[in-house]
Amino acid sequence: MDLKDLRKKAEVDFKTNGFPTTKEELWRFTDVSRVAGAEFSNDWKISDLEFQPLDKITVVFENGKLSREKSNFEDLPTGVCIGSVLDLVDPRIGTLADAQSAFVAANTAYFGDGAFIEVTEGVEMDTPIHLVYLADVDGAAFHMRNFISAGKGAAVTVIEEYIGLAGATYWTNVVTEAFVADGGLVDHYKVQRESESAYHFQTLEANLGTGSVFSNHAVTLGGALGRNDIRGKLIGEEGEAICNGLYLLKDKQLFDTHIFMDHAVPKCNSHELYKGILDDKARAVFCGRILVQKDAQETDAIQSNGNLLLSRGAKVNTLPQLEIYADDVKCTHGATIGEMDDVALYYLQTRGIDPVQGHAMLTFAFANEVLDEVKCKPAKRYIEELVHDWLHKVAK
Amino acid sequence: MALLEIKDLHASVADKPILKGINLTIKPGEVHAIMGPNGSGKSTLSNVLAGNEAYTKTGGQVLFDGIDIDDLAAHERARAGMFLAFQYPVEIAGISNMYFLKAAVNAVREYQGKDQLDAMDFLDLIEEKKKVVKIRDDLLERAVNSGFSGGEKKRNEIFQMAMLEPKLGILDETDSGLDIDALRIVSDGVNALRSPDRGFLVITHYQRLLDYIVPDHVHVLVHGQIVKSGGKELALELENEGYNTWVDEKGA
Repeated sequence: MDLKDLRKKAEVDFKTNGFPTTKEELWRFTDVSRVAGAEFSNDWKISDLEFQPLDKITVVFENGKLSREKSNFEDLPTGVCIGSVLDLVDPRIGTLADAQSAFVAANTAYFGDGAFIEVTEGVEMDTPIHLVYLADVDGAAFHMRNFISAGKGAAVTVIEEYIGLAGATYWTNVVTEAFVADGGLVDHYKVQRESESAYHFQTLEANLGTGSVFSNHAVTLGGALGRNDIRGKLIGEEGEAICNGLYLLKDKQLFDTHIFMDHAVPKCNSHELYKGILDDKARAVFCGRILVQKDAQETDAIQSNGNLLLSRGAKVNTLPQLEIYADDVKCTHGATIGEMDDVALYYLQTRGIDPVQGHAMLTFAFANEVLDEVKCKPAKRYIEELVHDWLHKVAK
Repeated sequence: MALLEIKDLHASVADKPILKGINLTIKPGEVHAIMGPNGSGKSTLSNVLAGNEAYTKTGGQVLFDGIDIDDLAAHERARAGMFLAFQYPVEIAGISNMYFLKAAVNAVREYQGKDQLDAMDFLDLIEEKKKVVKIRDDLLERAVNSGFSGGEKKRNEIFQMAMLEPKLGILDETDSGLDIDALRIVSDGVNALRSPDRGFLVITHYQRLLDYIVPDHVHVLVHGQIVKSGGKELALELENEGYNTWVDEKGA
């Protein structure tokens, strides 16, 4: 089926099936009726929002459309192609994303733009590609479609950043498909700083070839209601999927992470490290499913989800799901939900550090384990800055 | 003026009375040792002095450098020059020792009206203090006490004390869990920090530590009260005779 037919079919599917409800297992804790019940229109306008370029290459989408004026991706090395997903064609677009998902169907049917990134065989791209999505239209829906491809032995770093206007209510619905060929490397980041009233959903799917590496760091700060569906398909031996995340939530934010690691072949690793800090009446859902298929011997899968609650009203549902059909595997998972460590706070106090500063230090320390794993230096610096700002805001 | 003046101190933990009228005065330059069996109230004393909110002072008065400690929260006592070396130093994942030390040193300096140390000055101070208390560079880079051996944790406590230059150092069973080499290194560090204007309160179960850190005064703590005080020879007496005399008398 070509993309045109795929989009027609998706529209029919979405119109027929609609949005999921909390009666469905995958959506048990996340009620999306606020999105389903709202009307969204797509009147395009220029965005007034500012952003901080992390490096030389930026691809800017303002209110759902690529802005060549604000972007900077003209001067690229040979073998690197960046552009709009509407202009550049690849038969793999739409073949990876889960067609069963209502959000994917809506995206496939209605996507208006998105990034196309292709790095051909053997090309190692040093400069990170910073994708910026600016949203400041109240009542708009932005269906963004991204495509990332790293050829054999190719390497690329991609940072998706979503920025929204404070107070604006809109719906961002993203699908990112990443294909990592044998020996390839995709280092992917997502920084979600949507408006506190916005709805943000992303489905990120990665296909990992033999000896390839796909790593994802998802940092979530914004949105009233949000969800990341992340699926890694390990289809070549000795592939490595790293899936880390940090969510910092306050007020009545609800953020849901669903990860599905599919080990189809032997000798692959998948590592998941997720940390959450929740204040006020914020809620988080973490569901990490690891499937080790019958042939996937010598699988090494680790999953960990730690949560720090700063208030009595905050709540977390964390659900590890391991399905193991091979016998020679190493799989571990752990989930914790805790409060501030009073003994550690006292220890800092006996060294002259006041409780407010001690609180901030310990909270940052909790998040720091995830930041330590960030390899891309500009991304790391920027994320650290965002985490500090957030902690400063919630400091009582 | 006395550095620490404890007058008829009573304290309880979870409504259970532990300290039942402690009197003790430490002058600058003096090293006092408190010895006692398990459960006598040794750790309660150090925690009440340092300001641990899990412990409640129920009576009496404690003056530190002339200030009533009731008026000072734990971090203010530390800034005023009190230092507690923990029996069980706390592991803090995610904060490097260096970062932690810099925050602590600058918090104390701010209280003293001194300028904040920048990165270069701080490194100079680290180098200077490494001559007093030997500590490996990798321990300074690692998260606070995380994965440190028992000896490394205690050494880190003494290093922190050297960095913060307190007026009073309280060592809460610093010898527990140390082998003889570690004990010697830690004691050498403490001895190097002894000075005419700094006092120490050394709390221990065993006399062994006092072979290395020789005290001016020794007090025996039993059932929350000081039952005997004397010179350094009292520690040796205890080593030979044990605490049984007092424990039995009180009918424990």
